[in-house]
Amino acid sequence: MSESAMVPAPAAQPNDAPVLHVLFKVDDAIYALPSDVVLQMESFTGATFVPGAPRFVAGIIQLRGRVVPVIDLRTRFGLPPRAPTLETRVVVGEQHDRTVALVADSAREVVRMTRAQLKPPPRLLDEGATGFVKAVAQLGDRTVMVLDFAKIIGEELMDV
Amino acid sequence: MQVDLREFRAAYLAEVDEHLGAINAGLLAVEVANRAGRASPRELRELMRLLHTIKGLSAMVGIEPIVGIAHRMETVLRAADEAGGVLGDHALEAMIQGTRAIEAGVRAIAHDEPAPEASAALIAQLDAAEAAPASEQSLPPPIGDAQRPEIEPEIAEKLTASEREEVAQGIAAGRHLLRIDFAPTPAKAERGLTITTLRERILPLGELVRVIPLSRAATESAPGGLVFALLLLTEASAEIIAEAGGVPGSDVREILAARPLPRAVEVNRVEDLPEVVEAQRPGVLRVDVGRIDDTIEKLSGLIVTRSRLARAVGRLREGGADTRELEAIMIDNARQLRDLRAAILRVRMIPIATVLDRLPLVIRGLGRSTGKHVRLVLDGAGAELDKTVAERIFPALVHLLRNAVDHGIESPEERARAGKPEHATVTVTSSSRNNRQIEIRIEDDGRGVDRARVAEKAGRDVPTDNHDLLELLCRPGLSTRDAVNTTSGRGVGMDIVRKIVVEGLGGELALDTTAGRGTIFLIRVPLTIAIVDSFTLRCAGERFVVPVPVVEEIVELDPEKIMRGPRAGGRQARFFERRGETVPLVDLGYALGLGAESDGFTGKQALVVRRGHEDPVAFAIDRVLGQQETVVRPLVDPLVVVAGVSGSTDLGDGRATLVLDLLGLSAKLGRMRKDAA
Repeated sequence: MSESAMVPAPAAQPNDAPVLHVLFKVDDAIYALPSDVVLQMESFTGATFVPGAPRFVAGIIQLRGRVVPVIDLRTRFGLPPRAPTLETRVVVGEQHDRTVALVADSAREVVRMTRAQLKPPPRLLDEGATGFVKAVAQLGDRTVMVLDFAKIIGEELMDV
Repeated sequence: MQVDLREFRAAYLAEVDEHLGAINAGLLAVEVANRAGRASPRELRELMRLLHTIKGLSAMVGIEPIVGIAHRMETVLRAADEAGGVLGDHALEAMIQGTRAIEAGVRAIAHDEPAPEASAALIAQLDAAEAAPASEQSLPPPIGDAQRPEIEPEIAEKLTASEREEVAQGIAAGRHLLRIDFAPTPAKAERGLTITTLRERILPLGELVRVIPLSRAATESAPGGLVFALLLLTEASAEIIAEAGGVPGSDVREILAARPLPRAVEVNRVEDLPEVVEAQRPGVLRVDVGRIDDTIEKLSGLIVTRSRLARAVGRLREGGADTRELEAIMIDNARQLRDLRAAILRVRMIPIATVLDRLPLVIRGLGRSTGKHVRLVLDGAGAELDKTVAERIFPALVHLLRNAVDHGIESPEERARAGKPEHATVTVTSSSRNNRQIEIRIEDDGRGVDRARVAEKAGRDVPTDNHDLLELLCRPGLSTRDAVNTTSGRGVGMDIVRKIVVEGLGGELALDTTAGRGTIFLIRVPLTIAIVDSFTLRCAGERFVVPVPVVEEIVELDPEKIMRGPRAGGRQARFFERRGETVPLVDLGYALGLGAESDGFTGKQALVVRRGHEDPVAFAIDRVLGQQETVVRPLVDPLVVVAGVSGSTDLGDGRATLVLDLLGLSAKLGRMRKDAA
């Protein structure tokens, strides 16, 4: 390693460079995932049901040669199911070597948000959604909830 | 004890296959040397050794046709060796045909068929080659005797003509010839210095021409009465070689000085295996793939046991026991199982180079038959992939290369008119992506795909993007029409390429082409796959796949012969009699939780499965639809790891179809019954 790389940058980065987020809707609420978690977005034409999987798992889909489990966010968030429409999207995320797709009612927007814009979730929301929401941000008159991808896909399942 | 001959056969095929790969590479090296006007004594001797091994192996398992061909080829090489290490173009062609014949024989054996006898044409070709091994070769005369450097007689008389030629070439190429004298003694062996270790130490530094054993009067320094003289062509000084070999400087001396050459010469270092010490490649073990698969199978058993253990711990915890220590152990255990699985899968991996190294010969043949000048560039051969994947991907690569040369690359005249270099370039690049996929890129600098023509042939509109163009190219009808009319356009066998890549290996195929500039095909395939002979079946409106070996019998259900027992645990007990045995019948759809238990069994079938020596279980299904080889992709994400499902496959419709584990499912039902009791 070169010497300069060992020396910390003189002025510590304030680290509020805007981070790209993917926005999507579930019911009427707007959710966001940081773009470094999101691999791709695809239209959704149904998944192959996997008997015995948790209820919120819609099944598996094939994506470019890979088999990926699909989580139905409506079921995950305790909402009544809804048949897929032309708007329905799968948001494919990857974290800690796991690739999981999330079904959202629609997804079509990408925004930049700075760290300063992200606020801790209100207490009640936090409890009501079992920690799925990591932060909230106000974008004009819209409230955006930033999801904790690891919680959504059940990181605690990893060692089972 | 009974010896299974088939087991020998698998080992035979594996070994011969490996030697054939080396032979192909060697023949290619000979051709390169011919073109450069060099003799190729080392390559010829290596080829002789390989063919000799194949001959011996084939004789051992009694495959006479291959013994015969290998013997004739060996004879040609010996003649060429005696003629100064030159294998002319005609003889080279005969050798290539001979290699093809051995390959054909090996393929036949692999398919349980007898190896075909050598054709009369091949025999005539090989005989002609033996009679005039160096004909048609416009080699500059071998370095004349007048220029030939003098070697001390004790050594010179032991060298063959081709070895002398090799030395002369090395000297002319600016290297000097060193003689290292080594007398093995017990004391040296104790220090780890033997003829084998010495060879290994100095081999990277030069070209070992020969190891000559010389008998001496037994003395204190040579108690065995034996001294090895190692002849090394090298650029390194005697001091460096002595240092590297760990021998006294006085034992290394120059016997021929280098003679600088006016032009630069490519220096090829080929690993040498002299006949004095038959050195094994260290640490390489050849294993039948079946044994590795068997190991994986055993591991699956272990994983099933682990999940039972996890459930038992869960029950203890629910019962109020302190299970913290147990749970900590379980987490360690899970990690160890994952590591073990990864380690076993790594055993099956081979370098992609073993596939790519066979491509230059393909290009050579294509160049000859089309009269086009093609240069093949291989890049990035370091990635590893599963042996099965490697074997299956090869035909797809050959198809793509053939397309590139036949259709993509223009004739030399056309290239000249377009202002392109006369030699076309086909580049094959491979790289591994995210530890799951390997990417192979085949790029040519030809004329590109003619969209309008492809559209016309397919009777469709001209595709606007590459994705749609690829769809058209992969239409099965297109290939046959193209094969008849070979004027232009791409498409020969593209449907086959897609079948191999997408359906056969669960990968992706992409195309990028620019008119006048060339075409790129991109293949991405998983690094590992499991291929299983399977039944496809319909049940509860869904399609499923079940591996054939699991199924003991497919039974046509007769509703009149199905007996009902008492209801227990919410389930209606049903069974039927089969050859004096009572077989419980379970509705598969119900067992999978896909719906209510069916009551009508008219026209339905059942799959009978049996775990080890336990009682059989029959799963009622709608119908078996067919039988086919399927690529099973394991479901690894914890969200979808469930009892009764072992993986997913693509039956060709682009959708995921579940591969069922009926044994796991019957075990789960057994547990449910116990829990209910």
